[in-house]
Amino acid sequence: MMNLEPRNPADFPVDVILYPGHDKAFRRVLEELAQKCPTQFLLLSGVSGQPIACEGEKGETNLAALGALLAGDLAASQEIARLTDQYQSYQMILREGRESTIFLSEAGPFMILFARVDHNVPLGWARILILETCRQLADIASARPDELASLDLGLHEEHLSSLIGDRLDSIWSG
Amino acid sequence: MQINWQLRELNLKIVYYGPALSGKTTNLEQIHARVDPIHRSDLVSLKTHEDRTLFFDFLELELGRINNLTPKIHLYTVPGQSYYEASRKLVLRGADGVVFVADSSPEFMHANKVAWGDMNTHLASHGIAPDQVPVVLQCNKQDLVCAVDPETMKNLLNLYNIPTVSAVALHGEGVLETLKLITRGVFTRMQQQQQVCA
Repeated sequence: MMNLEPRNPADFPVDVILYPGHDKAFRRVLEELAQKCPTQFLLLSGVSGQPIACEGEKGETNLAALGALLAGDLAASQEIARLTDQYQSYQMILREGRESTIFLSEAGPFMILFARVDHNVPLGWARILILETCRQLADIASARPDELASLDLGLHEEHLSSLIGDRLDSIWSG
Repeated sequence: MQINWQLRELNLKIVYYGPALSGKTTNLEQIHARVDPIHRSDLVSLKTHEDRTLFFDFLELELGRINNLTPKIHLYTVPGQSYYEASRKLVLRGADGVVFVADSSPEFMHANKVAWGDMNTHLASHGIAPDQVPVVLQCNKQDLVCAVDPETMKNLLNLYNIPTVSAVALHGEGVLETLKLITRGVFTRMQQQQQVCA
């Protein structure tokens, strides 16, 4: 007889799992960066582009679109580095502008940090702080809570696939 | 896939893959046009000057709360032109499901076959065995007079156990059906992964 048991969530084949408590820790680290280095906007996203946390004025920015573009930009840059035999972890992309500078950096293997920094901030100073922040963010993401067994997304619902299909029908205008 | 336990949010990535001009971007354009704007993002397209996909197209669907879960589906296309192979590989990274958009014109059968083989190579390079990721075959442009029928296309591509949709994406036919099939496939696979035989 088959006995089906919930699997440890940490064993899911996912890019990033955000546990309760991660969100607060990410925000604390991003706030610290914003205090040390005048940033206009910070966005932490997964390597597949899904936004995780942000800090500062996002204005009208579409975070989903920005996350997708960051993921594409970083993935392309990583591939360029691999093709030219220059790849290493925690590499950074820099885009200088008249009013602000954009930094795009790996935050461990599964996350990306986007930072828009005021142009008055010395690049070297911003670079050091952002890299340090990325390492802290990666450490937070790698920490897992003890009470994994109590976490349940409700994926065992028998009719979940049908419910998803019904919802797609309902948002489709034909 | 990204799981946010705090928000009970599930982010999934579905990639539309296929040979050049098979209708991958058209699928996303139709979804964008037909889904209620409060449930979708803007369509982001990185195009060449000739209006061809340079890197990818992107569209996010927000399905709202379902059974105490908030699924968000991120749809991507790959560039079909042969010299953008490296970009196609990158877009496939982290894919939870793939829609293979095949061109039903008889002269495109070889291109379909090559693209299918390339896709499996790229998935393998990301450590994903082809049978580990849900795939839906969409036989697009079925309105062509000389269109190859879906059964024949499956045989030509040696695909026997893959859900298949007959489509005319330009007119929206088969687009929702494809999206529903791949989404269901992804959720079913996730449910299977959540359970282990003890």
